[in-house]
Amino acid sequence: MNLIREIWQSIVRRDPLTTDKGKSELVFLNVWLHIHPAKVKKENLKFKHSFYLGFITFFLFVILVTTGIALMCYYRPYPPQAYQDMKDLQFVVFMGPFLRNMHRWAAHGMVVCVFLHMCRVFYTGSYKKPRQFNWVVGVFLLLLTLGLSFTGYLLPWDQLAYWAITVGTNIGSYAPFVGAQVREILLGGHTVGEAALLRFYVLHVAVLPSFVILLTIVHFWRVRKDGGLSRPVWKLAPPKQQPLVTIGAPVETVALNVTAASKDKTYGLMEVVTGKPIFETVTPEEEEDTVFSYPYAFVREAVVLMATVTTIMMMSLFLDAPLEELANPAKTPNPAKAPWYFLGLQELVSHSALLGGVVAPTLMVLALLAIPYLDRNPSRRPVDRKLILWLFTFFVVVNLVLIVIGTFFRGPGWAMVPPWVHVVAGAE
Amino acid sequence: MVPSVFYEPPQSFKIGNPGDFPYGPPTFMADEKIFVFRDRDRGFAVASAVCTHLGCTVAHFGSDQKFHCPCHGSVFGADGAVLHGPAPRPLNWFEVTVARDGQLNINKDKIVPSSYRLMV
Repeated sequence: MNLIREIWQSIVRRDPLTTDKGKSELVFLNVWLHIHPAKVKKENLKFKHSFYLGFITFFLFVILVTTGIALMCYYRPYPPQAYQDMKDLQFVVFMGPFLRNMHRWAAHGMVVCVFLHMCRVFYTGSYKKPRQFNWVVGVFLLLLTLGLSFTGYLLPWDQLAYWAITVGTNIGSYAPFVGAQVREILLGGHTVGEAALLRFYVLHVAVLPSFVILLTIVHFWRVRKDGGLSRPVWKLAPPKQQPLVTIGAPVETVALNVTAASKDKTYGLMEVVTGKPIFETVTPEEEEDTVFSYPYAFVREAVVLMATVTTIMMMSLFLDAPLEELANPAKTPNPAKAPWYFLGLQELVSHSALLGGVVAPTLMVLALLAIPYLDRNPSRRPVDRKLILWLFTFFVVVNLVLIVIGTFFRGPGWAMVPPWVHVVAGAE
Repeated sequence: MVPSVFYEPPQSFKIGNPGDFPYGPPTFMADEKIFVFRDRDRGFAVASAVCTHLGCTVAHFGSDQKFHCPCHGSVFGADGAVLHGPAPRPLNWFEVTVARDGQLNINKDKIVPSSYRLMV
């Protein structure tokens, strides 16, 4: 028994969790948990501040990696076999449909949650100094999520896949100067075929997920380094108050009072940092308004994880991921529609491929990237930010309207057909 | 990242004897993505079935003599000119010649005006 205890204690070296020291050590002696601070502000944990959207997105990504690896065991990225493997997943593989459904709905969920997370960060003004760069990282994560969705729905090699590659790579070819080369590199040739499928597979299972993991690490690290989650808007100090006290920072007129280290100190202070810290300042009252990450933050995260997995599993039991017929280069389906999240883009390119497919999306992304640097207003309070809130809301509404038009108001030949008019398929 | 060799179908290929093609509505050749027109008075012409907008395959209905793209609603007239929709250029017409063995030969690298006809 002593040996077992010794082994256990060699793995878990913290004090018991009943003590405050143990609660702290659980966090900072653990490589996985130490991205958290030992203590978090109580108000920041509230659901109504963040809706836990960042966590939900991350957990959906974990589901996607897990189910994705399982799906890779049943999939060959080669044109005729790829579709056959889809059929096997539907009818032969044990729990195959459930597995595929989970991957599909988690992917759709991730697109939704990344977008909602971005909206939450915007509306709470959480991209402001010092968090500007983390917003930029977040925009790239949004783009990677869309890239993963696009490369993902190509893999079944059904009609949707084939025509999405065709249209998608042709949009790329409208890019000025590099268009033709971009298309050739993406396709690995000039026509949509086996080389193209293999390349999109490599992008989907290796290249893009690696970048997502890298940027997620940076994103989380930055959240921590920028002072944790932003303060909820309702906790912001009212304007024209006394300046906040910065703990540990020298008051400008008073010399920093350095206490000589006692002889029994067991740590080394590498450098005395002077000046104000870059993260948000806290009042002593706020400092007391904190709780230990264990259990308060971890329990909430575990609940969010379970709720996310449960929701995706329930959806996967009742909703089946679509699969169209085998890719047929000779016959474009009519109408040929992308998944809902790209229908706004499809609506734009239906007016002009260059303006709608290249110029408008590029400008949108540049605008998103520039937001934290162009918005010079230091206040995070909604009353002080009316104009920019309206502008962003307009941006969101335009995107939603385009998606709604593309989804419900476009019929065969991309003609305007209201959803209440019944169109007989094939009646051309 | 660009392959040294492309294992792709050739751009110049034979499609069969002139007598194989009927008069009237065009013959759609799915693998080659072309429409072969044969007119009693004016001879052969070959149009591309690839929409110049984003590469979807257009359909031709004998009823209205037009080409319709299902993806974004482009419509091309009988001569391939853009009548409606986002397509930036007219449909391509390809050179059609008679090979030594009497078969029709299409060269997709040679774009010809829509008035081009091969009399056989």
